[in-house]
Amino acid sequence: MARMVTKLAGLGLIGFAGFMFLSAPSVSSMAVYDGLKGDAKNGETVFWAAGCASCHAAADAKGADELVLAGGQEFPTQFGTFLSPNISPDKTHGIGGWTLPQFATAMTQGVTPEGTHLYPALPYAAYNKMVPQDVADLWAFMQTLPASATPSQANKVSFPFNIRRTLGLWKRMFVTNDWVITGDLTPEQTRGRYIAEALAHCGECHTPRNALGGLDRAKWLSGAVSADGKSKVPNITPGKLTWSEAEIVEYLTTGFTPEYDSVGGHMAHVVENMAKLPDSDRAAVAAYLKLVPSIAN
Amino acid sequence: MKTKLVAFTLLASLTATAIIAQDDPFKDTVEIRHGLMLQMATDLATLGGMAKGTAPYDQASATKAAGNIAAIASVISMEQFPAGSEAGKATDSFALADVWAKQDDFMTKITGLNEAAGMMQTAAATSADAIKGSMAQLGGACSACHKAYRQPES
Repeated sequence: MARMVTKLAGLGLIGFAGFMFLSAPSVSSMAVYDGLKGDAKNGETVFWAAGCASCHAAADAKGADELVLAGGQEFPTQFGTFLSPNISPDKTHGIGGWTLPQFATAMTQGVTPEGTHLYPALPYAAYNKMVPQDVADLWAFMQTLPASATPSQANKVSFPFNIRRTLGLWKRMFVTNDWVITGDLTPEQTRGRYIAEALAHCGECHTPRNALGGLDRAKWLSGAVSADGKSKVPNITPGKLTWSEAEIVEYLTTGFTPEYDSVGGHMAHVVENMAKLPDSDRAAVAAYLKLVPSIAN
Repeated sequence: MKTKLVAFTLLASLTATAIIAQDDPFKDTVEIRHGLMLQMATDLATLGGMAKGTAPYDQASATKAAGNIAAIASVISMEQFPAGSEAGKATDSFALADVWAKQDDFMTKITGLNEAAGMMQTAAATSADAIKGSMAQLGGACSACHKAYRQPES
């Protein structure tokens, strides 16, 4: 009996050691950021394409207030409610004290300067495909935004999801640097893929997830239940979205569907963001969407 | 006996009808709202066709369509949104409870729609290019409300 207990304890210890090893927030080298100089002007384009303000502006912020990234919006999910943090340049309550490599680590690897895992409510599983220069440009643009002294609020996430260390395993299982759509792409399709898969993180809402919250990339963009479980996010593969490329561009510019219904819900934020990009970028997204494997449902 | 049965059946069916009617006191309200939106979409299609160049610019029909949109915008008020006519309570309603909880903001967005519709009227009388230039603003006014106050499809 005593031997049994010792054996079990031994096994438990090995398991724990394995967990600690596999879940450790490991950060790959950020040397590529050494000497990178950000261009705030391109950074603004990256900022809108990546939809930063849609989640990090205060709830109901309008106009110029959208650029005050005080956070505080609530995102209820099956795992708990996440609250967007203050990412304004405030040195105490925002991220004004961070360096570019630290910002890049958070954005592309989901690890804070303190070395803890960030929840994938921050879509680093998409942002990890950003080119370093765009991250540097975005960082430069964010320095130009107003600081806010609003303290970040804690997430309301319950056990076991409140153990951030478990995210290390989650990342190993579900985060990849690989593009979903591969093959010979035209420059326009390549740009569209970069906007859709990396910056605008379309897949985060439009792709279904498994029970652990990992994206089912085999069903890319084929529609899902919204994060709060209350509504359906539509299938935007060619199997369902039969709009022409021009109609997709029109929708991303004005918010009007071909039937002149108008965009609503969180997608209205996305259209506001997309409308700020050059026409060629919206056309690139439309061209990309036509490449996505058709799934009918 | 037979008379009693008939009377009972009649009474029972009347009660049932009354209950159904009572369940749905906002049927007309919701239909009016959707009708206003559908007419607006129809007029937007007229303008949108000219903006995209799939239909030739025609000042008379553009002016009529933009005038309709402005007229509909001016009709929309809390009158079409009586308390209780929200999604989950009134059949077919997509109006979120925030319409009433944040009524001032809701009405600000309706004012925004009226302004955008006014600009579209000027554009419609001018050219297809001017219409094209005003579509995004009008679309923005529509989605400002639909973003916060319309329940996404479930």
